[in-house]
Amino acid sequence: MTATRFHTPATLDEALGLLDEHGDDARLFAGGTAMVTLMKQSLLAADHLVSLQRVPGLEGVRLEADGLHIGALTRHRDVETSDLVRVYAPLLAHVYSRVATVRIRNAATVGGGLAHADPAQDPPAALIALDARVRIASRRSVRELPVEELFVDYYETALAPGEAITELIVPRQPADAGAVYLKFLPRTEDDYATVAVAALARIVDGRAHGVRVALIAAGPTPVRATVVERALEGAPITAEAVRRAAEAVVDAVDPLDDFRGSAGYKRDMAVVFTRRALERALGLSPA
Amino acid sequence: MVDYHAIGTPTPRVDGVEKVTGRALYAGDRRLPGMLTGRLLHSHRPHARIVRIDTSAARALPGVHAVITGDDVRGHLYGRRIKDMPVLADGLVRYFGERVAAVAAEDEETARRAVDLIEVEYEDLPAVFDVVDAIAPGAPLLHPAFGTYPGTQPLDVPSNAYDHTVTERGDFDGAFAEADFVFERTFSTQRMHQAYLEPHTSLVSVTDGRAHIWTNTKAPHSIREVLTVTLGLAPEQIVLHHSHIGGDFGGKGTPLDLPIAYFLAQASGRPVRMVADYVEEFMAGNPRHATLTRFRTAVMRDGTITAHHVEYFVNSGAYAAYKPGGRIGGATRAAGPYRIPNTRIESIHVYTNSVPGGHMRAPGGPQGVFALESHLDAIARELDIDPLEFRMHNLIAEGDEPASGDQITRPRVRETLQAAADAAGYRDAKALHVGRGMAIGDHGAGGGVGNAEVTIHPDGAVTLGTAIFDQGSGTYTTLAQVVAEELGVPVDRIRFEIWDTDGTGGEDDSGIGGSRATRVNTVAAHAAAQDARTALTRVLAAQLGVAEADVALRGPDVLTPGGEPHTWAAILAEVGRSVTGRSHVDERGPTHMTGFAAQIAEVAVDPETGQVTVLKITSAHDVGRVLNPIGHQGQINGGVIQGLGYALMEELTFADGQVTSLSFGDYKIPTMRDVPQLTTVLLEPDNGIGPYQIKGIGETPNTPVAAAIANAIADAVGIRISDLPITAEKVYRALQNRGAAAQ
Ligand SMILES: Cc1cc2nc3c(=O)[nH]c(=O)nc-3n(C[C@H](O)[C@H](O)[C@H](O)COP(=O)(O)OP(=O)(O)OC[C@H]3O[C@@H](n4cnc5c(N)ncnc54)[C@H](O)[C@@H]3O)c2cc1C
Repeated sequence: MTATRFHTPATLDEALGLLDEHGDDARLFAGGTAMVTLMKQSLLAADHLVSLQRVPGLEGVRLEADGLHIGALTRHRDVETSDLVRVYAPLLAHVYSRVATVRIRNAATVGGGLAHADPAQDPPAALIALDARVRIASRRSVRELPVEELFVDYYETALAPGEAITELIVPRQPADAGAVYLKFLPRTEDDYATVAVAALARIVDGRAHGVRVALIAAGPTPVRATVVERALEGAPITAEAVRRAAEAVVDAVDPLDDFRGSAGYKRDMAVVFTRRALERALGLSPA
Repeated sequence: MVDYHAIGTPTPRVDGVEKVTGRALYAGDRRLPGMLTGRLLHSHRPHARIVRIDTSAARALPGVHAVITGDDVRGHLYGRRIKDMPVLADGLVRYFGERVAAVAAEDEETARRAVDLIEVEYEDLPAVFDVVDAIAPGAPLLHPAFGTYPGTQPLDVPSNAYDHTVTERGDFDGAFAEADFVFERTFSTQRMHQAYLEPHTSLVSVTDGRAHIWTNTKAPHSIREVLTVTLGLAPEQIVLHHSHIGGDFGGKGTPLDLPIAYFLAQASGRPVRMVADYVEEFMAGNPRHATLTRFRTAVMRDGTITAHHVEYFVNSGAYAAYKPGGRIGGATRAAGPYRIPNTRIESIHVYTNSVPGGHMRAPGGPQGVFALESHLDAIARELDIDPLEFRMHNLIAEGDEPASGDQITRPRVRETLQAAADAAGYRDAKALHVGRGMAIGDHGAGGGVGNAEVTIHPDGAVTLGTAIFDQGSGTYTTLAQVVAEELGVPVDRIRFEIWDTDGTGGEDDSGIGGSRATRVNTVAAHAAAQDARTALTRVLAAQLGVAEADVALRGPDVLTPGGEPHTWAAILAEVGRSVTGRSHVDERGPTHMTGFAAQIAEVAVDPETGQVTVLKITSAHDVGRVLNPIGHQGQINGGVIQGLGYALMEELTFADGQVTSLSFGDYKIPTMRDVPQLTTVLLEPDNGIGPYQIKGIGETPNTPVAAAIANAIADAVGIRISDLPITAEKVYRALQNRGAAAQ
């Protein structure tokens, strides 16, 4: 942490300009919950920290035709408690409420959370299941990317140097869909998940439709379990069909050994929790 | 029943407001002029010879005032009883994390950079981490010079097993020969960190030939004595000043970096403060010991236990230095309050290339009790006897000698267990995969010496002088209650004067530890208050012109035969001087009294995941008089929660001798949301120690929890986990293995 300069730009342009100017030597600083920990552990050093705190317009939730727009600087706690989110994407409100403790959620931002890209973070599971996108700005361009494509590897995103996430766009959650997030916490309530699953599905004429399954803490990045989705899409809803579809999740996950369990255990648990999440989403077991 | 006004009344912490408003000063809050920051270089090898240390770059860094290595402090050995630990590694490192070199610099940043600039060349040596490996023939010997350390005697045969104690009773072999069944099992426990909020802190200033010390220790006088040997100073040359302590749980009896801070202060000529960070706490603290317990137990068909063999191995880590007695208890806890006539109890302390263990809340207790109470439960289930009945059949009653060898007057263990079973609804119907399990522990109040001084001022204020450094468990509050009680004044009238180590006028003071604080210090405060009362009576008698025998103190009033009632405060104000009572008490003798705890855990096990959800813990206690119900209940709740962490999640994990759980993200402790329903049952007090007939409570509530939970899991799903912590994955694997075996 030597001689780091802490910049507090007043506009987004100014912030993007600083990022551009200092290239690899600069990092954005939002809630700081991840940054400060990494810096204290000497896992991260930056000569220039570019704080977004004073940049206006990056905070808050609004509803537009294509869904909810959530500013990158919106706190986890504000997503969790937003009436708009609770109405139009209740799964998301729930998932943000499952992050860490309220102390972290009061500081951690949506953009910082996504850019941190620890595969054990909760929100991406729901964001992927809901087909959410991020809006990314740099001094030169603005682009959008599905959240599913944001994560490249362990703590690595598709963001290029000079780019910042400005907004998260979340299509409305289909009102008739069952939506479930199961976070497996065998140690403590404030822990990261051993494995967690978001599942979304509608029932049309006794068949599963629009099946979405995404997992976190199950590999180097959050994963969408398309093998499971495909196995179930259009299928008659039976316990057996769900069980078999859930078993396919082992082909989608690639977990690591850590304090929350061995890779083998997490693989087994991915199956159990995928099945349970789907059972609930499809009304086979009580929510 | 005596009618008390302060004793037994729920009393908020006397230092609570000071602490929550930030006014209370901790060692890390102290700033001295010219103070430097000390930082350490820790070993990154579990066992290695130090070939070369190059400190030149560190010394050359601007802002660095001193760099010291083992060469600078050679011959200075540290340890509470066994002085086997060099202040800095002396040519050899014996564990990953060992203190190798130290730097004092203008600020923390510079100190850290200087540490990074120190180069060490190591030559690796074979390392042993496990007690069984460490005592195997041919194992590398950690301390070939063991017998030469202060506080030791040479071993008959050189060994890493530096302490092997065997006690045998009855016809041990004969009983096994006649037994209907013999049960053998092995249990192991993990290393646990005390997880106090405040890390170890040492601030040393050497002025006028005296070492002035601010550190978070609960045993300042004992530490001063240790330091005389380690630093080569006379007791008068060392003074420990008071600071508040941010939690202890047993871990604040050995200031880990204190001798190093002293030598840095000497080398730099400036005060030096060292504050450990939590990586250092996890890597090189003084955690609860890992243990391995092997049992062989002879049982008759009717469930009578006739013989019991305990082999209790304590993984000491690389040094014995942090153990106040050189070893910890626990072996006798693995024999317990059971009526077993023939026993062999072996306690074996073994050096390994791992972080040295220290004291944690009931040292050895949770380890021994987890093993024994799990083992007995397994026996009961195998014999198809209800675990409660099996215990009741074998537990001691008045007059029986327990297998532990303890002498206990009026043991109320059966009553305590029955009370727990009743309150827990032990025999109520259970849902599928829900189980109930029980365990018993006990802990007597330890002894020691203590001091107190009570001064009554002419304005009616009362000061209690004490040598105690309250480590957060509430001793000051209890002592204020005692003085208030004896002087008939409200608790908030009592002010504290906390002495540095000079304050006892040369008397020793045992400080806090081993559940002794309340026992020893209520006696001391009581005696000083009584002494002050006598002095007050003398002054009042003189002022009122009556005989001392005719002066009666009733609360705020003084009564004389036929005289008008006065408040004694008014008379003392007239006299215009204060009166003082003092005490030095020796409470080292055995009490033959213990406090039993019986707990019943109710758990639900998810058979698909192995997840254990603890639904309820019922904790029954055989107590003496409860002095402060708030503090007492706090000890029970906190102890049970700490026991829950020990049972299910807390573990210092290792890879090749290196601690890998280096943050509270990896080393999880229970949060409030993980706490199950807690029910407490207190037995009606019927005996106790000292003027108020008390018993210790600090070290019983955490002791049986892990065994109770393990037994509840066995009850719920029929599997036995014999190594702590009981993670979901272990339960899942055990269920899978059983499933595989059944097919
Ligand atoms: C104790 C603790 C427990 C936790 N438990 C959980 C948990 O259970 N579940 C969970 O999901 N998460 C958990 N987290 C992680 C937490 O969600 C992240 O730390 C947080 O979301 C990061 O957000 P922030 O605003 O604090 O980011 P910062 O720390 O400020 O930044 C994090 C990263 O994002 C970059 N960044 C910040 N803003 C932007 C932006 N707008 N565009 C591009 N890059 C940006 C920064 O440069 C940095 O690389 C936990 C964290 C802590 C400290």
